[in-house]
Amino acid sequence: MTYLFQILNGIGLGMLYFLLAVGLSVIFGLLQFVNFAHGAFYMLGAYLAYEMVERGVSFWLALPLACLVVGALAALTEAVLLRRVYKQAHTFHILATVGLALVVQEIVIIVWGPIGGNVAPPEGLSGVVILGDFVYPEYRLFVIAFTAVLAGGLWWLLEGTRLGAIVRAGSESAEDMALLGYDTRRINTAVFGLGAGLAGLAGALAAPIRGVEPFMSVEALSIAFVVVVIGGMGSYAGALAAGLAVGIAQSLMATLWPEGARLMIYLGMAGIIVMMPRGLFGRA
Amino acid sequence: MTRLLERPLVHFALAAITVLVLPLVLRSGTLASEILIYGLAAAACNLLLGYTGLLSFGQGIFFGLGSYAGGLLLLRAGWPAPLMLPAVALVGAATATAVGWLSIRRQGVYFVMLTLAFSQLFYFLAYTFSDLTGGDNGLLNVPRPRLGGRALSDPWSYYAYVAVLFLALFAVLQRVALSTFGRTLLAIRDNEARASAIGFPVRAFKVAAFAISGAVTALAGALHAMLIGVAPLSNIEYHTSETLLIMTIIGGGANLFASVLGAAFYLVAGDLLSAIWPRWLLLLGALLIAIALFMQRGLWGLVERAAALVTRAPAEGAVPEESRP
Repeated sequence: MTYLFQILNGIGLGMLYFLLAVGLSVIFGLLQFVNFAHGAFYMLGAYLAYEMVERGVSFWLALPLACLVVGALAALTEAVLLRRVYKQAHTFHILATVGLALVVQEIVIIVWGPIGGNVAPPEGLSGVVILGDFVYPEYRLFVIAFTAVLAGGLWWLLEGTRLGAIVRAGSESAEDMALLGYDTRRINTAVFGLGAGLAGLAGALAAPIRGVEPFMSVEALSIAFVVVVIGGMGSYAGALAAGLAVGIAQSLMATLWPEGARLMIYLGMAGIIVMMPRGLFGRA
Repeated sequence: MTRLLERPLVHFALAAITVLVLPLVLRSGTLASEILIYGLAAAACNLLLGYTGLLSFGQGIFFGLGSYAGGLLLLRAGWPAPLMLPAVALVGAATATAVGWLSIRRQGVYFVMLTLAFSQLFYFLAYTFSDLTGGDNGLLNVPRPRLGGRALSDPWSYYAYVAVLFLALFAVLQRVALSTFGRTLLAIRDNEARASAIGFPVRAFKVAAFAISGAVTALAGALHAMLIGVAPLSNIEYHTSETLLIMTIIGGGANLFASVLGAAFYLVAGDLLSAIWPRWLLLLGALLIAIALFMQRGLWGLVERAAALVTRAPAEGAVPEESRP
């Protein structure tokens, strides 16, 4: 029974990891740009949700708002700043976004202080579900259901819509898209905003489970990297499978060896890299 | 002047001048020692980044491991520092070989992400096995080395100890960079496919670069633990990897002295600014963005530009700048 509990926990956690990683992955696929500020966007989403809930805004409003505000801020940063770095080597992509992450982290500390906080689960979902002798927090069930719907929507967006086709074509060849008359700059900005907005949404969703603190961004960034390394960059299915695998592994380990749970994620990643250097679904 | 700045001997001279000038311009012997220690680690980072084209986010692994291994050998095994330091270099080289071998299985950004993930792995190792590392508190009471029966407890006498090792290791790194091996690393950086087609075992060279970098970084870590008397958990954290990388990129180019310059700039600026405003990292972040946009050759690029200006100006015979922050 505890295993079922932990697997459910793991699915919830894994879906959050998926949301986090898929944004990173889509941005990289289109822009060939590694965004080291991705964890910072996740943190910003969590803090925005925290702030709004503290001020009495309903969580149901805070959730989409956090996603939209983070997405808009990221799109703005891309349009003003980051697009000027694209031409340069990866080193400078990384340097610029590491710089951006530092700026966000320090602003978070200035505004909210160095100590974190907790976010109460939204009213109506603060209870538990009882099925026989099985007890489970409602909010976590909601996270699983919500992210599953979202993942479906995202899949449709990327595979079934014109925007998705443009993004995928742009990942193959941005030059061809420009020749066909598409405004690649606007597409880039939109996709960057979308990816960052997903990170912000993941942060806001995770806030009632994990709370907020100003150094949460590094952990989020490296988890996103692990998911992408295992799943393969630019692969939607890879991000989903790897996100779930990491989440479930982490939750199961939490019962077997609590102190080593996070250690095991990284050891597992090292093992997969040894056996399958390209990751589970990787092309590159 | 510009030509002069490309000569390796000049770089070594600049490193030696730095060692001599730091005590004159800084009040704190601890800060001066820190500059040399981080300068060394940044130079080792540059062997990977500038020479081999490998952006490693895992340098903190070797730095932190060096701190722990050094501290444990001094405290638990009771080894003297002259015995401990070579052992630490070995530990660093061995770990870097393993991390390097695994990380270079992927290329480009995947490589970078892997090194960062490995730095998390080692952080959680240190955090989990707290009976060995002291966990959050760090490994306490790491002693200073002894010389002539006395511990080097005075900041400046320890500075002298660090300075000797710094210059020796800087010379070693320079030898490595100038050797056929080092030139091959540059060839790999510039065109890996070609280097491999000529017949160089590219992977073995990359792993070797990792091993050397790891050994020197671990030594720097051990020196740091003896400096502050603790092997703290923060030495193996993401933050240390990030700091070393930032120092290297601020310094600029495939040039070992530039990395020392980057470390000096980072630490002195941090020392001055953090006294005024604890959130100075905000400015650092903005600076990094500015460097990525406008100053990709880093501080050393500025030095070169200044030198070019001076050469074009009517010769005055005076040495205009000694390139110090």
